Amino acid sequence: MAEMVRKSRVDEILNHWILAGSCILLSITGFAFLFHLEPVASVFGGFTTMATVHNWGGVVFGLSLLYSMRDYLKESLEYDADDLGWFKVAGGYLSHKVTVPPMGKYNPGQKLFYLAIVGAGIAIALSGFGIWLMKENTTVMLVSHIVHNVAFIIFVLAVPIHIYLGTLANPGTFQIMVNGMMPLSDAKKKHPKWMKAVGKM
Amino acid sequence: MANDNTKNRKAILVTPEACIGCRACQVACKSWNQLPGIKTKNNGTYQNPPDLASAAFNIIQYNEVPSQENPVRWLFVSRRCMHCEDAGCMKICPSGALYRTAEGAVAYDRDKCIGCKLCVTACPFDVPRYDTDNKVTKCHLCFDRIAAAMHPACTKTCPTGALKYGDRDELIGTAKKEGFGTIYGEKDLDGLGTIYAFKDEPKLYGMKENPTIPSSVVFWHNYLKPLSVIGLGGVVAAAAIHYLAIGPHKEKEEEV
Repeated sequence: MAEMVRKSRVDEILNHWILAGSCILLSITGFAFLFHLEPVASVFGGFTTMATVHNWGGVVFGLSLLYSMRDYLKESLEYDADDLGWFKVAGGYLSHKVTVPPMGKYNPGQKLFYLAIVGAGIAIALSGFGIWLMKENTTVMLVSHIVHNVAFIIFVLAVPIHIYLGTLANPGTFQIMVNGMMPLSDAKKKHPKWMKAVGKM
Repeated sequence: MANDNTKNRKAILVTPEACIGCRACQVACKSWNQLPGIKTKNNGTYQNPPDLASAAFNIIQYNEVPSQENPVRWLFVSRRCMHCEDAGCMKICPSGALYRTAEGAVAYDRDKCIGCKLCVTACPFDVPRYDTDNKVTKCHLCFDRIAAAMHPACTKTCPTGALKYGDRDELIGTAKKEGFGTIYGEKDLDGLGTIYAFKDEPKLYGMKENPTIPSSVVFWHNYLKPLSVIGLGGVVAAAAIHYLAIGPHKEKEEEV
């Protein structure tokens, strides 16, 4: 067995599952509201109960998003010359021949994805509260409604790519979401700057 | 769901000049729909109740508009759901509780209403009201009566013909022949199901000029809703194409 290195802590993994699970639940129920999907609503016993699930699911998602900032927010705001180089070769995803610059724990694609989720997540959570709790204020309702739906578009576009890149596109990556570990040899290749920072290289 | 049965579209024609303000329509509506009375206060007008309510699907609005010939002129305008062809409430309703009947009425399924009140924000005429169970209520053109070829309770009871029910095209044709200058609602929002025969400017009768659904709701309905599905399909397809055409990440052989 190859020597392993821990990339994610247990609480970090657990929180990511809560974030992912609530996100998918909210997306499915959200689509059901958008297009009046009766079969989906029936799973919850009707649209009224589904609305309750959607609302409280949003609370779970919002809290989980706040917790995630502890681990990812700082790094997602820091970019260097290698990150620029990463964009020049499109992260190595459009050709296997290019050389990708050395990366830290997360590449700039992941960092920008995280910022998009934080931005859209805060917008969708706040506007959700607007629709849920400020029904008497027409302006708040209308603004919240459009913000909620624009943010939803960002989720719908970004999350499937995130799932693809974390599973099929990068074999072995999904394991990190399960036990938080990755082989040291892989870490040295993919995240040399991180490995140097923690003194393993 | 558009009303594809436009030939059969029914409407109520309101003619304020024929209205005597007896409010029998309000009573008949309450009677048919089994709505309770509302305690109100006199605040200087005979209009009562002061506004549409969950127990008042229609009201006679008392507009005091003195003119030179008639210093005590009152224009009585029946207000209720306009049954827009392009209905903002139906567009925005997330549970499909608001729906179009074969006769062109905008009716609602109380059991499906989730009490989100989005219909209130999307209605150009400030019509939907919520009852104590937090369910939407409004005029539904007596969809249950008209489906059985009866007239709505209000028009049935109107003693002067200020409220008339019938085929929408016929009502408009008759009103035009009778010489009414303005048919309010003929074209607005693709045609309203409550139309008004006015002799004067709609503003004088307390009606909104150029009613529109909030532009954010229209934008959401026309672009964001389709984009959510096309976008999801697009990125999933893009991922599949990437997987097949370029393939997953491979670690390079040790070439350093």
